[in-house]
Amino acid sequence: MKVEELKSKVFIFLGPFGTGKTELSMNFSMVRKRMGGEVALADIDIISPYFRIRDFVGILEEEGIKVILPPLHLLHADLPIITATVGGYIENEKYEVILDVGGEDDGVAVLGYLKRFLDEVDYTSFMVINTKRPLYRDPESIVEMVERLSRKGRVRIDFLVNSTNLGGQTEIEDIREGEKILSIVSERMKIPVGFSVVPDFVKDVKGLKYDVFRIRRFLGRIGGWAYENHS
Amino acid sequence: MSEKLMVKGTEAIGESAIRAGCRHYFGYPITPQSELTEYMARRLPKIGGVFLQAESEVAVVNMLYGVSCVGKRVMTSTSSPGFSLMQEGISYMACAELPAVFVNVMRGGPGLGDIQPAQGDYFQATKGGGHGDYRMIVLAPSTLQEAVDLTYISFDIAEKYRNPVLILADGMIGQMMEPVEFPEFVDVEKLKEPDWILNGADGRDPRRITSFDIDPHNLEKIILHLMEKYRKAEENEKRWEDFMVDDAEYLFVAYGTMARILKTVVKLARKEGIKVGLIRPITLWPFPYERIEEMAERVGFILAVEMSTGQMVEDVRLAVKGKTEVLFYGRPGGVIPSPFEVLEVLKKYVKKVRV
Repeated sequence: MKVEELKSKVFIFLGPFGTGKTELSMNFSMVRKRMGGEVALADIDIISPYFRIRDFVGILEEEGIKVILPPLHLLHADLPIITATVGGYIENEKYEVILDVGGEDDGVAVLGYLKRFLDEVDYTSFMVINTKRPLYRDPESIVEMVERLSRKGRVRIDFLVNSTNLGGQTEIEDIREGEKILSIVSERMKIPVGFSVVPDFVKDVKGLKYDVFRIRRFLGRIGGWAYENHS
Repeated sequence: MSEKLMVKGTEAIGESAIRAGCRHYFGYPITPQSELTEYMARRLPKIGGVFLQAESEVAVVNMLYGVSCVGKRVMTSTSSPGFSLMQEGISYMACAELPAVFVNVMRGGPGLGDIQPAQGDYFQATKGGGHGDYRMIVLAPSTLQEAVDLTYISFDIAEKYRNPVLILADGMIGQMMEPVEFPEFVDVEKLKEPDWILNGADGRDPRRITSFDIDPHNLEKIILHLMEKYRKAEENEKRWEDFMVDDAEYLFVAYGTMARILKTVVKLARKEGIKVGLIRPITLWPFPYERIEEMAERVGFILAVEMSTGQMVEDVRLAVKGKTEVLFYGRPGGVIPSPFEVLEVLKKYVKKVRV
């Protein structure tokens, strides 16, 4: 599936925490914005205390993307804030809206609040999965998780996304392994795999079964410098 | 070692504790470490362990006291304000000689503070946050692999000295994600049963575990016995990392996340011709005084950098004994100094020395 060919009013990225939803939704927004229309990216992650869209506003705004955030004075509050403007943008015909949802059951619960808006529009949802995460390594636990989050968020899941990664140490074999596991999940759940996420530093993508979505990495990087691991 | 997995710091610590044989976890959620509590809640029941969310951190520490009395590997994790609440119980456990592993994922303080990463709990961790003459062995990881490795050995250290051990991390270590390899599972059935635990006096003399003796001379004996153990820990447990110190003309001292950032600064500075190195204490207590004193004799100055207004720097001064100038730079309250910011500070001091 080619991201550029998708047509939808709202794109939803959800999944367990630590799978790369934020980075993916940022990159996805940039691709969509370059196609010409108005794009709004909403940070509706009420779970993560750090590494959220709100930490990268500058980069996104430079690209012309409208970033929807909690009110400035509550940006670092440990509070589950979803600003009412999210619903407003979903209703606003001018904008294509991308939702970066927080991880796990509690993060996904936010979608329930947005249900009355989502029911009125066409949405496409992506379940973002990293098979290198400790709790979701095998098809059984992934199937259980997808069913649970879909129920909890009261959304249907349109695509699985293979976001298998080891951060800066990701290799093509890791992504391939993720494809194998997700193809089993896909068959069992009758949900297609949309694409495999491939970071820009992995050059050779030969042997991948699914379409490739290239991403630039932003996390592990704040204010333009990396939390390098020199050990 | 198993294959690499992508984990959060909190999960790295939780899984490593389980592999080290910890089957008892008591906790109370607090940002930025709640995922550790959640992880244990999910994992422990599946492997025959006990997870319990207590009504408060005060209750948690006393539950650890109880489990430790019967000789089981036990752990809790919390963040700054929660750790403050545990101090009374830790003092009791140190006096009663009860091993346990505590994890403090530091956030901005004092008070309720904020939820960003900070290093303001150094004094509390290393100088005795609770009352009385006692110490905690304090381990400070700066990568997630190190968090795994230190957590894994922390239970052995706690049992070796029959004393609480603290993993002192900060919010960044707790929340960031890195690939790690986990060690093999310790066979819990094969762990040697300590000879001091309370497991029923059937067929043997009763044992006593207490932090109380009304007779001052007896209490003094207990305390001197504790001090004897702490002296052994000082002899055996000091850990640190040298980073590009061999030809260093200037020296950084930092731990945890700050040390990680300073490695970047060391490399940036060396590109500009400033030969700076880093000593990273891994045990904050016992502190590697001798290693820093050795380096003090060779460098133009020592710059301690912390995510606080200056706490570890006092131990650096104690180590240096006036043999070189000790300078400090820090940002408190959850602000993380950037490498470029610290590089400018370093260059300013180097310029002063060279003039």
